[in-house]
Amino acid sequence: MIYVIDHNDSFTHNVVHQFSLFDKVECGNYNNLDIAKLEKSNVIVFSPGPGNPKDYPVTSKIYWKFKGKKKIIGICLGFQQILFCEGAKIIEQKNIYHGYQSNIQVINKKSIFKKGKKFKVGRYHSLKLKEPFKNKDFEITMRCLETKVAMSFENNKEKIYGYQFHPESFLTINGNFLIKKILST
Amino acid sequence: MSKQNQLTEIHHSGEPYIIYKSKEGFDLYTNFSKKIILNNKNINNFLNIKYKRKIKNTDLFIGFFGYELLNNLINIKIPKQKNTIFPKGIFYKPEKKIRMCHNLRYRNKNIFKTNSFKININKDTYTKIFNKFKKKIKSGETYQIKICTKYKTKSKIDPLDFFSRLSKTNLAPEAFMIRDYNYSIISCSPENLITKKGLNISTKPIAGTVKKTKNLSKSKALNFFKKNLKESKEHNMIVDMERNDLSRICKVGSVKISKSKIVEEYKDLFHYVSLISGKLKKNIKIIDIIKAMLPGGSVIGCPKINTLKLLNKQEKENRNIYTGSFGYIKFNGDMRFNIIIRSILNFKDISEISVASGVVVDSNAKHEFNENYIKAKALIDLFK
Repeated sequence: MIYVIDHNDSFTHNVVHQFSLFDKVECGNYNNLDIAKLEKSNVIVFSPGPGNPKDYPVTSKIYWKFKGKKKIIGICLGFQQILFCEGAKIIEQKNIYHGYQSNIQVINKKSIFKKGKKFKVGRYHSLKLKEPFKNKDFEITMRCLETKVAMSFENNKEKIYGYQFHPESFLTINGNFLIKKILST
Repeated sequence: MSKQNQLTEIHHSGEPYIIYKSKEGFDLYTNFSKKIILNNKNINNFLNIKYKRKIKNTDLFIGFFGYELLNNLINIKIPKQKNTIFPKGIFYKPEKKIRMCHNLRYRNKNIFKTNSFKININKDTYTKIFNKFKKKIKSGETYQIKICTKYKTKSKIDPLDFFSRLSKTNLAPEAFMIRDYNYSIISCSPENLITKKGLNISTKPIAGTVKKTKNLSKSKALNFFKKNLKESKEHNMIVDMERNDLSRICKVGSVKISKSKIVEEYKDLFHYVSLISGKLKKNIKIIDIIKAMLPGGSVIGCPKINTLKLLNKQEKENRNIYTGSFGYIKFNGDMRFNIIIRSILNFKDISEISVASGVVVDSNAKHEFNENYIKAKALIDLFK
């Protein structure tokens, strides 16, 4: 079972529908989490959401509790939340991408995706990862072709994955494939 | 008696009635046997309708939910605001329905005295709010937010006269009018928020409007929207948000974009529209649908909850009906609701017109302030 933590976003249920194509999904609101279900799940998904990782201390606690024990996946804010827990700084970006379709590319040969492969993806983020960001277990695996902003990370050892873009958006082509692949590792 | 004369007679009788745009013309509802004034306590009960199989064409409740009621329904409280004590929502049970054609021939030649309209926030205040919200976008607290301005004046009006004239210049697909003893609403809303028939449900958000000119054909308008990055991004956001809201209540895999970014042509303008539809999960109740879809996202901003909170903190005056929803719930569970925009509320001889336009990261305060005025102008002109 996959447990989605909803950070009060207006895209969370698109995420829920997308993950439901592959497994049973339970969704709990950030302010009202079902701990028993969370414990039972195999995969935890941190949803997109407004604001900054600092605003969601409970999600950070959950990350530390289950890191290495369950697969953890972060989308948009969720992506930032995981990196934030790992010591990264999350900062405002000059150009903001809300409702924007971007070309991104796999840039790392340690990725589960083939290096050089391109995707068209939908983006809704004000903030971004401050780089350089160094962490021996985390690899930045995809970047925006135009701005080079980090778009995906993988920690294949502990099964932690994150997408800065929105695989569930109608602006993302082959979004289901992008989810299927990280669920099947 | 002709239908036109029946309408005129009902109008002159002073009895309450409602007109709602249908596919072929207008439906007139009257002879109300029940009037339910909604509040936070009775709304749950009201929405707990038990479905009936066989129904008459008057087996429905028709009316509106105000903005505040819809916020409260999803547990968002609104701070103390300037308030006209207008009801939070009203629904009626009609006993008579008359189908009418498009052409409403009614004029009231009496000239009512109208003072000029006063706006509740001036350009400077608007710019301040605008810049504040822009910062909130940069910090990620909202991705898109709509600032509402309100125009008000003291005047008596003849709502049917207004509505007849309005429907001649702007035959909007979700137009409606309510005339009750102590208030009236005239609206040329273009936006359908919920169409539900059986298990099928759809929503048709509008994001993007351009004024029609001699040189602007429908295909040129489409090009305009496609090339305009700001309009496209706003539209995309609304499409994903509406997919989300439908996904709360629909079966996995059933939510589809049936029409993606098409242009619809109206008398004076072109709208950039998408149609999103889905199949309801089993055991979804009316109240679940209302809570998932209302208030309509395209007039609020995104993400809905946080953006509503930001708006409510900012706004000093109650929105009343504006960005609420008007429509009906049939006794078999089918329903149709619009978003109340482009409307006049006349209550205690005060007419109010609210308008809003969006702040996204690349919008401009002056442009949006003027945009608000253009939206209000078509309605303000009716008073002349």
